Amino acid sequence: MSVSKAAVLDRPWAGGTRPFAMGSKKLGMWLFIVSDTLTFATLLIVYTYLRMAAPSWPTPFHFSPGILFATVMTFVLLASSFTMVLGVRAMSEGDRKAAVRWIGATMTGGLLFIALHLTEWRSLIAEGMRPFSNPWGDPLFGATFFTITGLHMTHVAAGVLYLGVIAAGVARGRFSAEDVEVSGLYWHFVDLVWMFVFPLVYLMSVSLP
Amino acid sequence: MTAHVPVRPFALVLGLLLVLTVAEVVLAYFHVPPAMMLTALLGLSVLKAGYIMAYFMHLKFERFGLFLLLVPATVFCILLFLGFLPDAGRGMMEGA
Amino acid sequence: MSEPAAVPVHHAPRGFVRRYIFSTDHKVIGLQYFFLALFSVLVGMLLSLAMRYHLTNPDAKVRLFEMLWPDGAAGGLMTPELYLSLMTIHGTIMVFFVLTTAPQSGFGNYFLPLQIGAEDMAFPVLNMLSFWTTFLALVVLLAAFFVEGGAPLGGWTAYPPLSAIPAAGPGQGMGMTLWIASVGLFCVASLMGAINFITTIIDLRCTGMTLARMPLTVWGWFVTAIISLLAFGVLLAAAVLLLLDRGAGTSFYVPGGLIVNDRLLDHKGGSPLLWQHLFWFFGHPEVYIAILPGMGLVSQVLSVFARKPVFGYKAMVTAMLAIAVLGFVVWGHHMFVSGMSPYSAIAFSVLTMTIGVPSAIKTFNWIGTLWGGSIRFETPLLFAAGFVSLFVAGGISGIFLGQPTLDLYLHDTYFVVAHFHMIMGVAAIFGIFAATYYWFPKMFGRSMHSALGKAHFYLTFIGVYLIFVPMHSVGLAGNPRRYPDFKEFEFLAELGGAHTFISLAAYFTAAVQLLFLANLFWSMWKGRPAAANPWEATTLEWTVASPPPHDNFGGVTPQVHQGAYEYSVPGRSRDYVMQSEP
Repeated sequence: MSVSKAAVLDRPWAGGTRPFAMGSKKLGMWLFIVSDTLTFATLLIVYTYLRMAAPSWPTPFHFSPGILFATVMTFVLLASSFTMVLGVRAMSEGDRKAAVRWIGATMTGGLLFIALHLTEWRSLIAEGMRPFSNPWGDPLFGATFFTITGLHMTHVAAGVLYLGVIAAGVARGRFSAEDVEVSGLYWHFVDLVWMFVFPLVYLMSVSLP
Repeated sequence: MTAHVPVRPFALVLGLLLVLTVAEVVLAYFHVPPAMMLTALLGLSVLKAGYIMAYFMHLKFERFGLFLLLVPATVFCILLFLGFLPDAGRGMMEGA
Repeated sequence: MSEPAAVPVHHAPRGFVRRYIFSTDHKVIGLQYFFLALFSVLVGMLLSLAMRYHLTNPDAKVRLFEMLWPDGAAGGLMTPELYLSLMTIHGTIMVFFVLTTAPQSGFGNYFLPLQIGAEDMAFPVLNMLSFWTTFLALVVLLAAFFVEGGAPLGGWTAYPPLSAIPAAGPGQGMGMTLWIASVGLFCVASLMGAINFITTIIDLRCTGMTLARMPLTVWGWFVTAIISLLAFGVLLAAAVLLLLDRGAGTSFYVPGGLIVNDRLLDHKGGSPLLWQHLFWFFGHPEVYIAILPGMGLVSQVLSVFARKPVFGYKAMVTAMLAIAVLGFVVWGHHMFVSGMSPYSAIAFSVLTMTIGVPSAIKTFNWIGTLWGGSIRFETPLLFAAGFVSLFVAGGISGIFLGQPTLDLYLHDTYFVVAHFHMIMGVAAIFGIFAATYYWFPKMFGRSMHSALGKAHFYLTFIGVYLIFVPMHSVGLAGNPRRYPDFKEFEFLAELGGAHTFISLAAYFTAAVQLLFLANLFWSMWKGRPAAANPWEATTLEWTVASPPPHDNFGGVTPQVHQGAYEYSVPGRSRDYVMQSEP
């Protein structure tokens, strides 16, 4: 190609170059995140809309176990994002072993999150909460809760599987640093969604003394 | 990415996110009108999301064009959702 | 990056399955989409003919109906439920599997990489997956005809609460569930396509292909992909909630105290309006998903056949972007009679009027492109001009419907049916026809018959106006839509003649399409062999052989030195300059 590298950097949109200086997979993942953000945002606006329309909305979450559990889950998810950052960093430095370890730590965080969440689901179900009814009032409380957290948990589970595939590949010498980074983007996104689910679904429904 | 990315800024961001989370939980126990509570919590959440995107998702270190491609359109659509809310409660024939 | 170093010449896979069925070649996938859309449009058209026949002959006993739908047309007499299910599938199949599929996924897949000088799409495997998901969605949709109760009755908008209640009607059980599943699958497929299109356009433009040199077709696909990316995720979430209402007993969309078929429902607390908001938040941008690729193509074709640069290239691009933005802020104009807040209705009305501005910019620029050109009256030009005509004719009635006060009267009448068929249906179909006639030589290496094509255009053009102009009048006279017959309504009796006329015009227009089909399939095998650049156009797809080789440019990455519309440039020996010419 007759175009010099400097010229390409000067004019990132001139063609024959990647304007964002990143691989297509990474850009593709970012675009997926945009569409998935809107899917989650839709669920959250549905929740807001129905809650505003409801004559009264249940606020059943006591500090323990509900809020405490959810807060710990938030910590776990944030920490797992951090270990993922370290995994991506290790990979960019060419340290595949460390990368696998950190990704493994991230997956553990994800699994812990799911375990805690399912425990909490079970205790809520034991209290009589269902998608179609609950002991505290408006049936949509359960419907929105299970739908939003359920979809999020599905994303966490899919993320653990995805990271598993990446870790296994990295251990066997496959995948580039950017491939790991792309999986990291997905993981951080799942974390990011929870930053909105946690206050809207849990903290807005604390049982005030 | 070049070798030896410093860890420190990311650890600081993690610390900040944890602190903000605690702040949210504490805030949730104040007795304030729901609209104010919602605004405050969402404000903190947007801040947290911003840090996650900027640092963990590396958006701060990417070309600004990527931010322009992704964020304004998404935020615009989400803000448009607020247009649903004036109708909350309409057409819901309660009473039975 | 993990990609292997470039190999000079790629060969197509040898096995039939990998080459033609599960192909990752964007050209094969483009053709797969094209034929999927062709099949769908035939099904959709036949359904509409059955409906038109029933409207004008409500008491007729038709053996064919009984053979096709033994339950819905026992003894050959079409039940009202069957009529509604035909309408539902007609709308769904046309909107999703024709208007969304052909211009964007079909022609977009085939020609986007060629026009920007790329070897393939950015994610070939995702591309294949996207096609097969669409295919599955179509199969699931058509399966609704064959399950107990038949296809759903709710139209392509599937308004709850009745769409959320399986007991609400014969097609609302399994048929409705399949409908939702199909739409959900289609959303996923479209999102995959959108990600692929956007990444390809950003990353894979060849050297010299700046954004300002991209053909307007590419801009059309680009803007459409962005709209799809933002809109389909919303419909996906809305569809999942509808499915939960039906299956898990939730009541997102079902209000309390509802009595269906004499039975009080358990549901409580939901809002049917919420679905309308979510659906139209997707649904209005969807209109532009259908029409924007056509707009890009029409700009392209008018310029090629007028031998003039596109009038106001930058204005065209800006108008497309403006339409995309405005397309997102007007969803409420579908809901004026829904009981929504009248204050929001005013806001939606004003914003809706605003769309007239970029639309007018485009229309005047199309006319400006033709003005003073040395026009070559080939079939693609005729269909592109027809597109402009239908876009204006259908758009003007949109201004009527955008006023809440007028819409109160016109809503759910045939006026609306005529409006959206003209602008979204037929105009977009004319775009597809123009694209087919324009690119056929490139896709199949042969030319379509010109005289037959022109006859097809004139007869179709006259036919659609004969159908839809009287339909406006019928609507103004107060004729409601979605009624299986009008026997019981005295005030509609005098409209019988108009309905008969519309039906006859519909049969005529449908029959004319046989010309197109004959021309298409005959030319594929027997048409005159086409040169590499039969229309003397400037864009990159015309620099390669017809049909293009498997790797598009033979392993050589092209370089672009010109804008896309260098026609009649002074001082050149020919009246056009290829984009790849220095």
